[in-house]
Amino acid sequence: MKAEPKTILRFLLEHYDVIAELFETQSKDGIIAFEVLNLIVSKHESDIRSQLIEYKILSPVNDNYEIRTVYYNLIEFILSEFKPMLPETIEKYHTSIAELFRKIRENINGDKVTLSQRLNDLAIEVRSFYEMVERNTQSLLQETRELKANVKKIDYREKIIKASRWIDEYIIPLNKILDINHSTSVANKLYEISEFSNKYRLNFDDESARVQFEKLYFQLIQVNDNLLRQSKILTNELLPLIERIRTESIILTGWITFLKNPYKRKVPKLLKRKEVSVYSASTFFNAAEIFEQFKNDTDVYFEDEEHNDEKWIFDKEHYTAKLKENLPVENFFKWCNKTLKEDYKTVEIEKFFALTTLAFDEDIERDFGLKAEFDKIKINDLTITVPKITINQHGIS
Amino acid sequence: MEFPNHHRHIVEDLMSGKFILPQERTYQVLKENEQSYLYFFKASFNYDLKLTQDYAYIVSDESNEMLSRDICIFISLLSYELDRDGKNFLERIQFSEFEMEEIENYFTNSSYIDLILSNKQLKDADSRKNFINTLNRRNIIEKTSDNRFVFTSAHKFFMDFASDIVKFENTEKED
Repeated sequence: MKAEPKTILRFLLEHYDVIAELFETQSKDGIIAFEVLNLIVSKHESDIRSQLIEYKILSPVNDNYEIRTVYYNLIEFILSEFKPMLPETIEKYHTSIAELFRKIRENINGDKVTLSQRLNDLAIEVRSFYEMVERNTQSLLQETRELKANVKKIDYREKIIKASRWIDEYIIPLNKILDINHSTSVANKLYEISEFSNKYRLNFDDESARVQFEKLYFQLIQVNDNLLRQSKILTNELLPLIERIRTESIILTGWITFLKNPYKRKVPKLLKRKEVSVYSASTFFNAAEIFEQFKNDTDVYFEDEEHNDEKWIFDKEHYTAKLKENLPVENFFKWCNKTLKEDYKTVEIEKFFALTTLAFDEDIERDFGLKAEFDKIKINDLTITVPKITINQHGIS
Repeated sequence: MEFPNHHRHIVEDLMSGKFILPQERTYQVLKENEQSYLYFFKASFNYDLKLTQDYAYIVSDESNEMLSRDICIFISLLSYELDRDGKNFLERIQFSEFEMEEIENYFTNSSYIDLILSNKQLKDADSRKNFINTLNRRNIIEKTSDNRFVFTSAHKFFMDFASDIVKFENTEKED
């Protein structure tokens, strides 16, 4: 690079607006298209395209351009506009730090120059790692706050998706990286290195290496403190905040869905109020009364009565003839009972009453005697008391 | 047979459709005797007792569907209007006091005005005032004065219902 550093810095200062716009374009589109570059440059009325290439601020990619990483990072840092990085990107530090540490440990008594270089590289890696974590936490926090305020007016469902993705893909994995109790976490590795440095900063034959170990040790103490703070931000602030966004969005989406058709949706069951209290002064006795009914219950079986007998029809003529034959009948009711018993094995009360209707026959001459007399007649299980009636004559005969 | 303290109070409250809240002493008794009460309500009335960290209440098929629907409409409208107004609806419902005047403002200026006017319990200021009293009786809100109230933790019962709508729809889509 031919240009003086001061010239480049002055150039950046003078044309900061153009560069900031180019930065924004690249952040959004990933690249700066040739036409877009021309458009931005002409808008600001300063054709600086050749200097941008000459100072190696832009590098050509096919027919388009991109800002070189070193400048991109510088502007990003100045603007504090970091995009959250996937934790996989941060996780790579575990490999590089672990590898350097392994080499330092294994060759602790080896070449002092190499050891010094490795300690230096390790310090740089630790610093880069921490800076990346800090940037990621800050950018996640900023994005989350924006999501919370819904600056971009995004839909609730999209909010749920975004919040869930940040939790699952960024925050939880990042938290794992920072979890000192997790054996494979970067934080745990840093703790191990800090123990190691502590030992060698006090007890090592080479003084300059001892100084380097001491520097590394204090750097790690600082980094561990900072990581702990970042981890706390994640778990105490960011995670609850984003969980809340997710819950809120889910609930509001649910309500909006419900309001689309509030009378067709099933609603939660809410007990109908009971007007009568389950307790009253007499509840106990009422309940006892009901339960007492079932206290000594025996099984009761009901069977359909069989009606195999043919329906009996009173043959009035037949019995009138029989009565006439037996005249005079001294005791009409006893005669009825006797006659039926002659005709049937058992005498049902219906038959008995049917036969007694003969006593009301107009042609019959009834004699009730001078004094009322009663007899008891047994029909099956039934004993009936009947008056004594004598029949002397039927009709004119 | 011995029953825990406050048994009568617990049964009366739950049977009248009230939510029992964690700050009530009856909630503690329920919590300590959870299994017995689960059995008691099932065996005595065929009701299911739900005991969560935010409330206790009874589930039965003898449900007052109309009231439940109106409560859902009320809370959904309020949540929607609070959010539209740039407020954090969940935090407001959970932690702050409402004045009837504020509710009136939201309801009278709501874009869901047709739905509100067609609902017997929410259609006008008087109906809404009665409705608030019903919510108070059920322990869903607590009146702090004649025209001010706060939501109790029982409101989560309805918020859970809203999240279930989304979960249910998502499961249906997956199926």
